[in-house]
Amino acid sequence: MTTREDVENMIQRVGLGDRAAFSALYDATSAKLFGVCLRILNDRAEAEDALQDAFVRIWQKAGSYAVNGYSPMTWLITLTRNLAIDRLRARKGGAVDIDEVHDLKDTGPTPEAAAVAASERSRLDGCLNELDADRAEAVRGAYLEGYSYDELAARFAVPLNTMRTWLRRSLIKLKDCLSA
Amino acid sequence: MTQADDHNDDVTLAGEYALHLMDAAQRRAFEARLDAEPALRRLVVEWDEQLVPLADNFAEQTPPKAVKARIDAVLFPTAQKPSWSLWRILTGSAVAAALAVAVLVTLPLDRAPTPFAPSLVAQIAAEDQSLVVLASYAPDTGILRVDRQAGAAPSGRVLELWLIAEGAAAPVSLGVLPADAVTDITLPADLIPAIAGGTLAISEEPVGGSPTGTPTGAVLAVGAVTTI
Repeated sequence: MTTREDVENMIQRVGLGDRAAFSALYDATSAKLFGVCLRILNDRAEAEDALQDAFVRIWQKAGSYAVNGYSPMTWLITLTRNLAIDRLRARKGGAVDIDEVHDLKDTGPTPEAAAVAASERSRLDGCLNELDADRAEAVRGAYLEGYSYDELAARFAVPLNTMRTWLRRSLIKLKDCLSA
Repeated sequence: MTQADDHNDDVTLAGEYALHLMDAAQRRAFEARLDAEPALRRLVVEWDEQLVPLADNFAEQTPPKAVKARIDAVLFPTAQKPSWSLWRILTGSAVAAALAVAVLVTLPLDRAPTPFAPSLVAQIAAEDQSLVVLASYAPDTGILRVDRQAGAAPSGRVLELWLIAEGAAAPVSLGVLPADAVTDITLPADLIPAIAGGTLAISEEPVGGSPTGTPTGAVLAVGAVTTI
């Protein structure tokens, strides 16, 4: 069982150029991070490339981890998710592909819960539930599928500016709830 | 616009950035602000931490073995130059390799009238000799003379010299090597006992030297200190 402290320790040692720690970090976290890439990119070959990008970046950036204020799994997941979405956007070139719609509600939480305290999860779920259902789903779609404003507008069949307004208001509401 | 409006705008922008909703141009503009505004950076970290519970929905999948091999090939092209971690050296597996490249060098002791009379030397060399630095220490003077005989820092980087005392937990920086081929370093008194039996190593670092106090770049060359 890899604890948060273990992952933190590995990242710090990677920051010192420790290759053994890099391999240990890969063994401990690559399945989760590959899951991020697969979900966002929905293509195995591209997900493998994105995972490679992510670990190259992790090696290069681990030295600055200690000062950036992130918890270890959040840092790894955020970095990986951003690279995967960059790749997704580059592939799509902004085009909306309406055919591969995922049912967001279909996918329940996995047993992999070690990285995140259950109370934080229920807090976020509680705050998302305070939003209108379709707006909460738009936030989930942006996070889990990497949907852009264009794609969200198309999926929810509303004008782009309406989607922007929805999302921005939802973010303010969400923040108020999460900070309460 | 009130201050509260401005703050709400930044909260929203940070949230849009965290969700990756911005287009490329907006994202670049926001990142330029992030570089300059710590408070905005904190807002993004806060969003990332608050949204990360959603990542529970990313189901784990073990990647194919080939991916790790590709990553290693990109990061550690071993055929090119050794980039051993100092930690590996410290943990022993690479000590033999370090000793193998350290050769005893006979200094021209009769090079009078110089009063510099070294009793300890190390040849800090890359495996392929692309970087060769001769270090010699004269106890009478407390000076470590560093003579770069081959090689130089990669472009835009500097060479930093490190001392790893026998059995030490971590390397200690002896400073960034100047552009001059030969330089004299006055060893701090507390490091003098550490030099005999120690190992010297050179890493490549950002200009100004390692920002962390430990090597951050590739370790280009190592050499054990030996008595003459």
